[in-house]
Amino acid sequence: MKNFLVVFLLFISAFISAQEDKYTSAMQKNLLKMDSAKTTEDFLKIANSFERIADAEKDKWIPYYQSAFCLLLSSFTDSSNQNKDSYLDKADMLLEVADSLQHNNSEIVTLKGFSAMARMVVSPMERYARYGALSNSLLDKAKELDPNNPRPDYLIGNMTLNTPEQFGGGAKAALPILQTAMEKYNKFQPETLLSPNWGKNQLVEILRRIEPADSTKDMK
Amino acid sequence: MNKILLFFLLITSISFSQTKISGTVTDINGGTLQSANVYLKNTYDGASTNTEGKYSFTTEETGIQILVVSFIGYQTKETKLNIEGKELTADVVLEETASSTNTVVISAGTFEASDENKSVILKPLDILTTGSTADIYTAISTLPGTQKIGETEGLFVRGGSASETKTIIDEMIVQKPFYSTVPDVASRGRFSPQLFKGTLFSAGGYSAQYGQALSSALILKSTDLAPDTRSAVNIMSVGFGGSHIHRWENTSLSGEVSYFNLAPYYKIQKDRLDWNMFPSNIQGQVVFRHKTSETGIIKSYASFSDDNMKLYMNNLDHLSLKDLYALRNDNFYMNSSYSDILGKEWTFFSGISYSSDIDNIGINADRIRTKSEMSQAKVTLSRHIIDGSFLTFGGEVNEQAFKDTYNQYGRDVNDFYTAGFAETDIFFSNSIAGRFGLRLERSSIVNKLNLAPRISLAFKIGKYDQINFAYGQFYEIPEREFLFQKTGLNYEKAIHYIANYQYIGSEIIFRIEGYYKDYKNLIKRISLTDSIYNNSGKGYAKGIDVFLRYNRFNDEGLDLWLSYTYLDTKRDYRNFPTIAMPDFATPHTFSFVFKYFISPLQTLGGLTFSYATGRPYFNPNNPVFNGDRTKDYYNLSFNMSYLTNIFGNFTVVFFSIDNVFAFDNIYTYRFSSDGTVKEPIRATSSRFLFLGIFLSLGENTTGF
Repeated sequence: MKNFLVVFLLFISAFISAQEDKYTSAMQKNLLKMDSAKTTEDFLKIANSFERIADAEKDKWIPYYQSAFCLLLSSFTDSSNQNKDSYLDKADMLLEVADSLQHNNSEIVTLKGFSAMARMVVSPMERYARYGALSNSLLDKAKELDPNNPRPDYLIGNMTLNTPEQFGGGAKAALPILQTAMEKYNKFQPETLLSPNWGKNQLVEILRRIEPADSTKDMK
Repeated sequence: MNKILLFFLLITSISFSQTKISGTVTDINGGTLQSANVYLKNTYDGASTNTEGKYSFTTEETGIQILVVSFIGYQTKETKLNIEGKELTADVVLEETASSTNTVVISAGTFEASDENKSVILKPLDILTTGSTADIYTAISTLPGTQKIGETEGLFVRGGSASETKTIIDEMIVQKPFYSTVPDVASRGRFSPQLFKGTLFSAGGYSAQYGQALSSALILKSTDLAPDTRSAVNIMSVGFGGSHIHRWENTSLSGEVSYFNLAPYYKIQKDRLDWNMFPSNIQGQVVFRHKTSETGIIKSYASFSDDNMKLYMNNLDHLSLKDLYALRNDNFYMNSSYSDILGKEWTFFSGISYSSDIDNIGINADRIRTKSEMSQAKVTLSRHIIDGSFLTFGGEVNEQAFKDTYNQYGRDVNDFYTAGFAETDIFFSNSIAGRFGLRLERSSIVNKLNLAPRISLAFKIGKYDQINFAYGQFYEIPEREFLFQKTGLNYEKAIHYIANYQYIGSEIIFRIEGYYKDYKNLIKRISLTDSIYNNSGKGYAKGIDVFLRYNRFNDEGLDLWLSYTYLDTKRDYRNFPTIAMPDFATPHTFSFVFKYFISPLQTLGGLTFSYATGRPYFNPNNPVFNGDRTKDYYNLSFNMSYLTNIFGNFTVVFFSIDNVFAFDNIYTYRFSSDGTVKEPIRATSSRFLFLGIFLSLGENTTGF
């Protein structure tokens, strides 16, 4: 009997850890796929995979987060404005679920800010008043919630970089923000293997591109 | 231990038994759906559909399972599957979810500019960037159904006079939406387009929630909380102004003061008029917003303005004389509203408004004072019924008081108006919808009840196109000047019949609308010797409005639209001796709007070209009433907004020229009493230039 109990417990724990392993490996597999994704279809496919995991693991916020993140990226790759808005509608919905599971999480709030930014990008002249302000306030809140999170700074810096100089944007204005983001990235350790950990590589590329441009400007 | 080994062997053997599930996902029209998500509920097992809408995946699950199919913009479908190890095929058909892009929109007669509703013809920004004056009415007059009238302000819609169009701000009628002006000089709208987040221009068949407009309603929805704290300084060729907006968490308050004076401009660029005192204006406004909850908002707005001008006008009866015409206008307007969502089903709106407008006019030694006041209250309740259908009902009361003095003589009149309305929007399906409304009105001067039914139907016939029909009865109390008669007056009435086809694609918008409008009970003079009127006038208007827009603004910075208006209208009203085309109507009107954003220069350029055939005018020497026609009208206006940065502050430099080629447009003619002297009425200046620099100062002055 004793033996049986031990074996049973072993089996249960093995089963649970197998379940955990299944979750981790499925998540990792899809995170890896994201690196090579290029087209809208690629991102939608991965968003679907994350959504399947989210649906099976209803108490975990990260699959919802990752699915929303893929949809956000789809909105940048798709050419139809109508599709963009529907991807973002869905992303916002998933982020609300993530938010209800993990309230006041800096990463989730960052992604909400990113979503507002993506909404604005669809039609900047018409939407900046509403979504620009919303994005700013969400990203500021994300910074407050976790001052060490590099992603809000990265997004703000990137937006500044892509804003015309007349509006207070441009490389010169963006550089200090992006450099702050880089400092934070260098210190950043994701909580778990699956926790959000994106943006650093892209930022390295951006800084490589704008840092010399900035120094030539200074030489003029 | 053997037992355990056996057990594990069993487990592994189970895990080896995989079932393949495959199929196709389509929409109800049989079109394949790519990137749909197909999976077994509560498992990781699933796949996305490929370009042919096909999916295939394997699962280790057995027994009764639920197959979930979801796709963005479609209703998620769940199907039971019995997995017994045999390969399974499951084809699934998805239905679109109701959304603003795929649901029929009740839209006969209307042009809507909004950010909230996706399937609209215009965006709020279009109002600001169309025409040379950043005036709502100038922008609206590039849409079909409107006439090009230069000698007076107002929207002349589908054979209707200016008084047949009402401006409605936050659900309430504005008594004096235009600045006061001297005869034969048009003025502009009092309200800046930037105050509004939504503009709905109805050229006919509008909702039962509004009344007292025979032809058309311009329904404006004011902005919510200001986005951030900032100050602004405006320097213009015709004046200057400043404003400050403060934003708190749930509240915003802004104040603005401006001063305009045309003297410096007219001294450099001479105009046609003989000014004794150039027009000047001082005005101010306060805007308050407070969010009471996630959904509730209190809005208050108040403005004042004071205008002054004096000019010499030719006296056609004594050519050696000139009349000195002086105008001073004082206007005050306020409105306040509170709206919220109550529970899940109800939304409600309540508002009050008050306006007072005084013209002090001097013609040589004569002194005329006209005062108009309006106090108004309105309540609207709306209840969601089912599937996007809802019932709206409410009521409004207003009191208008008019008081005139002419030297020592005086007259006054008050009207107390009450109205109730009920309207239901019913969505029979995603592709058929109807709006059925009834409005009951009573004016104390007319002292009669009227009942105005309104119906609007919409049928979606394709992904991007729909057809619409509308029918409605509209009543209006006679215009101000006739009310002093006090007795024997009735409502003027118009019946609208509208049919349209519209296509709203992402780049191309096309709309063609035909209408017939039957005018009844129009005010008509019945005595040759005295100014006595009754409601025996009548008339009709029929026509076709065409609108075509090509919008690649977000991608290429290019946007253009064409409007064509065909109008056939005649009426017998006021002092007309017979039925005739009124002098504010012409058969053909054409507008072309072109906008282009030059990104490297951060400059938005716009051109508006208008053409209209000649309008009738009254010539006492012609036995045919209104038998003469002015020559055709041409105008090309240009505007340019340059976005820049001055001392680190976001700045817009706006430059415009109205009538670039100085076409000599004659709006109408005036005659001396004996008919021997004829004077053309033209624009005040053949070409008008405007330059303005608008600086935005604040912590967060980045445009984005």
